[in-house]
Amino acid sequence: MHAAHTHHFMSASLPISTSARATSASLARRMREFRLIARDPVLLVGVLVASAFILTFIVWPLWRVIVQGFFTPAGEFSLQYFARYFEPSYARAYWDILGWTLEMGILTALGSTALGFLFAYTVVRCDIPFKGLVHALTLLPTISPPFAIALAAILLFGRSGFVTRDLLGMRFGPGINDIYGLDGIIFCQIITYFAITYLILRGLLERIDPSMEEAALSLGASKWHIFRTVTLPLMTPGIAAAFLLMFVESLADLGNPILIGGNITVLSTQIWIAVNGEHDLQKGAALSLVLLIPTLTVFVLQRYWVSRRSYIAVTGKPTSGAATFVKEPFVRWTFITLTTLTLLLIIALYATIFIGSITKLWGINNSLDLSHYEAVFKRGLEAILDTTFLAALATPLAGIAGVVIAFLVVRKTFSGKEAVDFMSNLGGAVPGTILGIGYILAFIRAPMFVVAIVYVALAYFFVSAVTPKTNLRWLIFGIGSLIGIALAWLSYDEKLRTTGAFNSLSGGLTWLPTLEPTQWLYLGVGILLTLALASLVFVEGKAKQRVFLLLVFMALYLLSRELVLWVTEPIAVWGRKQGGDYLPAVITTIASWIALVFQPPLAILGFTYLVLGGFIVGMWRARARLGAGVILLAVCCALTFYGEPLALVGSAYIVLAAYAVRSLPATVRASVASLQQIDPAIEEASTSLGGDAQHTFRRVTLPLILPAFIAGLIFSFARHMTSLSAIIFLTTPKWPILTALILSEVEQGGLSLAAAYSIVLIVIVLAAIGLLYLWAGRAFRVGSEITMGGG
Amino acid sequence: MYLTLDHITKKFPGRGQEGIVAAVDDLSLEIGKGEFFTFLGPSGCGKTTTLRLIAGFEFPTSGHILLDGAQLEQVPPNKRDMAMVFQSYAIFPHLSVFENIAYGLRIKKLPSDEIRRRVGQIMAQTKLDGLENRMPNQMSGGQQQRVSLARALVIEPKVLLFDEPLSNLDAKLREEMRFEIRDLQHRLNITSIYVTHDQEEALALSDRIAIMNKGKLAQLGTPEEIYERPRSKFVADFIGLANFLPAQVQTIQDGRAFVRVGAHSLQVTALPNNTAGQAALIFVRPGDLEIAAETERENILEGKIIKATYLGEKIDYRVRVDETELRVQAAKGARRAAGEAVRLYLPPERAHLIDAE
Repeated sequence: MHAAHTHHFMSASLPISTSARATSASLARRMREFRLIARDPVLLVGVLVASAFILTFIVWPLWRVIVQGFFTPAGEFSLQYFARYFEPSYARAYWDILGWTLEMGILTALGSTALGFLFAYTVVRCDIPFKGLVHALTLLPTISPPFAIALAAILLFGRSGFVTRDLLGMRFGPGINDIYGLDGIIFCQIITYFAITYLILRGLLERIDPSMEEAALSLGASKWHIFRTVTLPLMTPGIAAAFLLMFVESLADLGNPILIGGNITVLSTQIWIAVNGEHDLQKGAALSLVLLIPTLTVFVLQRYWVSRRSYIAVTGKPTSGAATFVKEPFVRWTFITLTTLTLLLIIALYATIFIGSITKLWGINNSLDLSHYEAVFKRGLEAILDTTFLAALATPLAGIAGVVIAFLVVRKTFSGKEAVDFMSNLGGAVPGTILGIGYILAFIRAPMFVVAIVYVALAYFFVSAVTPKTNLRWLIFGIGSLIGIALAWLSYDEKLRTTGAFNSLSGGLTWLPTLEPTQWLYLGVGILLTLALASLVFVEGKAKQRVFLLLVFMALYLLSRELVLWVTEPIAVWGRKQGGDYLPAVITTIASWIALVFQPPLAILGFTYLVLGGFIVGMWRARARLGAGVILLAVCCALTFYGEPLALVGSAYIVLAAYAVRSLPATVRASVASLQQIDPAIEEASTSLGGDAQHTFRRVTLPLILPAFIAGLIFSFARHMTSLSAIIFLTTPKWPILTALILSEVEQGGLSLAAAYSIVLIVIVLAAIGLLYLWAGRAFRVGSEITMGGG
Repeated sequence: MYLTLDHITKKFPGRGQEGIVAAVDDLSLEIGKGEFFTFLGPSGCGKTTTLRLIAGFEFPTSGHILLDGAQLEQVPPNKRDMAMVFQSYAIFPHLSVFENIAYGLRIKKLPSDEIRRRVGQIMAQTKLDGLENRMPNQMSGGQQQRVSLARALVIEPKVLLFDEPLSNLDAKLREEMRFEIRDLQHRLNITSIYVTHDQEEALALSDRIAIMNKGKLAQLGTPEEIYERPRSKFVADFIGLANFLPAQVQTIQDGRAFVRVGAHSLQVTALPNNTAGQAALIFVRPGDLEIAAETERENILEGKIIKATYLGEKIDYRVRVDETELRVQAAKGARRAAGEAVRLYLPPERAHLIDAE
């Protein structure tokens, strides 16, 4: 405040240094702004946690992919894989792949945009009967595994396909054009993805005010003329957006090209082969960069160019619903017929998957056979259960992260807001394979850089709760962190002590013994329990009980990662002894879930305890607060830097993170859209009546955005269940993932088995959607109409 | 003084080349306990920003706000013990009328029978009895605004803030609510700060009015002072209709200023800042100019009627005097027609001088 004031006078006398003035003024503004944020602890935590999540699970992995492309595993700079585009022995193949990739992208984008437009126009303007059914059927591909259509296409049009072989009597030899190849991929991608363009264009068409078209009509224009000069130009930005989105979606697709690509390799499959087949991460990363460039270009274009050119979103006012229908029967029935035919094709494709799943040997022995389902539940039960569990667990994570980010983006002003918005969308926009490679690269070893940044940021929040004095804050930060690192050091074995991040400290800390993991854990639990007891003396009033209980809870939760084995191990042992085909697998799987919930990565626990600690420590008596602050900070620091923090590869948590990041854009967008409809004055009203940020959010904002939030959750769950490319590199035998399993079945030729798996997956997603709606309807009366206007 | 604004400035980052825009520019004023104080001004004058600064939704770039002697900067909006009534009502759409009104009391964790008693009491006072279980979307605009008012009043805040609360209501309801608000405020004796761009509303409601222009205080005074003795062309123009006649001050004597307007010699009320020899504008309201009889000689302006418009209760004349066009609103009486010459009487006590800009 002061700086800004003196500045004012300076600028009057020194008009020359305009740019310097602008920078320092904006710096002063940012500082002030930051202090303002810091005064609202909930907002500060929101910004810090959201930024930490985005940094750890989106920015850092993508950065690692970009960098890794230029370095050999030994760490030497190398352009060898980029150079291959210019080496005679490789160039041909590499350029071919690039060419096919772009051809696939452009044709898929064209086709799916056209088909999406056809459907949107038919549903909105042609008064097609059974609109709801048409809508539901159109969305079916969005909740199916990403290669369901390819699977069906092979069953129908493949070498022993029902149509090709049985109906048309075709026999395939070398040189005969079959479904495998670029045309097959494009066909499958169009059917798989056009539902998204349908949704975009439908939303647009519904928002075009019919009075605009009526105005043109009253000026004497013909219907065709109006379509050309009014409707189409109004939709152009939307169509462009849909086209670009489809282009990216097509390039990112892995399932269809693997299944139906035949001899054609595209970039996504090339990357997959490089990583999974050749185990060459540098090659995978280098090719990822090649794939990332068009994706990022389109993403930025779409965000900053197309969306700014949208005429309709500006008004955003839904019209009275009096849509004008196309009256010419010829036009109307052409659209309806084309749509119906496409729908029949989709139905046929899905029916094929179902029939395929109950057929003995497709094309050869077509007798009814349920053994595939038996096999699915025998061999894949664990994958089915684990995938559903992880997808379900990641759903609220993505949902909560989405709401928090949307809330910050829509309602709050802070520096870096644009970056938070951009990055939160980026994780879902880049091809999943790239994210997957990024996760391997980022989390195979401890990402110390990120852990340190996040630790410092959260520790800042923590110490700012301890004292308002800057010097004292740094002192507490320094002492607490040093003790914490010494504590963490106790957990390091010889190897970590010499090669780990803190190996430079070895001189001063060598005398510390190495503790067994259990001993170390008991030490941490002991400190927390001591703090809890101390809180009974040093915290007063109503807060005493709360602080005590929270500290005890923190200690017990930490302890439970050890204790839980006493529960899960016997359960697993007992489960394995059970008879029957399925029971042992179910029981052991559930045991592993329980263990998972109680054994989060210690670094994540450390971060969480820092945030909780920030709220706890402020309630201590002033003197004791400093001591408690140092000790609590030390425990959190020790937890954060225990062993190899965030070396997550191989654990289920990395799959959870990948799921959440992939569906984050959807939950963010859903929440942003509904938040923007809520008058900020409603939230301010709550504040002015005495509600703090947390109370206002829980009692006012959340109930109002709940319907959109639930829709976001449903979409997230479906996306998790069906995602393949992002987790294909992350899945492990301990945590098998259904989509990856289906893919390997297809590769081994088990088409019917794969079909049965796919049907099971679709049924799970449908059941989850139904359950979520039921639950939401009962618990929150979602669906009863809520007006958002505030008046 | 109860609430003090001490050199408050609020700057917002402007768009593009504009740089930083000061929405509120070095504003200082004091508001007494129990006072009904209004910020009045055109849109963009900084009145709403000032209110939001007081509420704590915005943070001043410089300056201090004090309530009862204590600085408010470090106090977040939810701890300021002020309640705001919003232009858009800002009723919680998912809560019933009862729950809307009880919202602030529940935050204070009052016992439920206490809440019931106080909500019932305030609902009776705001004529909402019997609507406890209604949902907001089942109510009219007027009822919604009553809920919004009741919700703010029930927590008995130190200061009640109004942000153009009546501007979404139709004219008749607006007038009705005006008196109700004034009535309630008097009865409950709550310090109230009101923001509006409607001058009639400001005049009817306020103990004192602050007229704002471009972030600065243009004039501060009672409704009467503001209406009768505007100190600038802006204030005079903003409140009601006004005529401005360029004049040259000759002498000042006994609270009267003797001035020349073209060939006319006139006397008007002198204000303390008037000096002899100064060029100024005579301010007079159209309703205060009278059409004079032939016999009158004192303080007469001679002109020609350009246009006469029938307004129902009165007739609106456009009269050209020298180079200036004056508006005169006269009782119906004898109607004059366009083109006629007319003599206008300027009552000296109803006209005064303001600075020519």
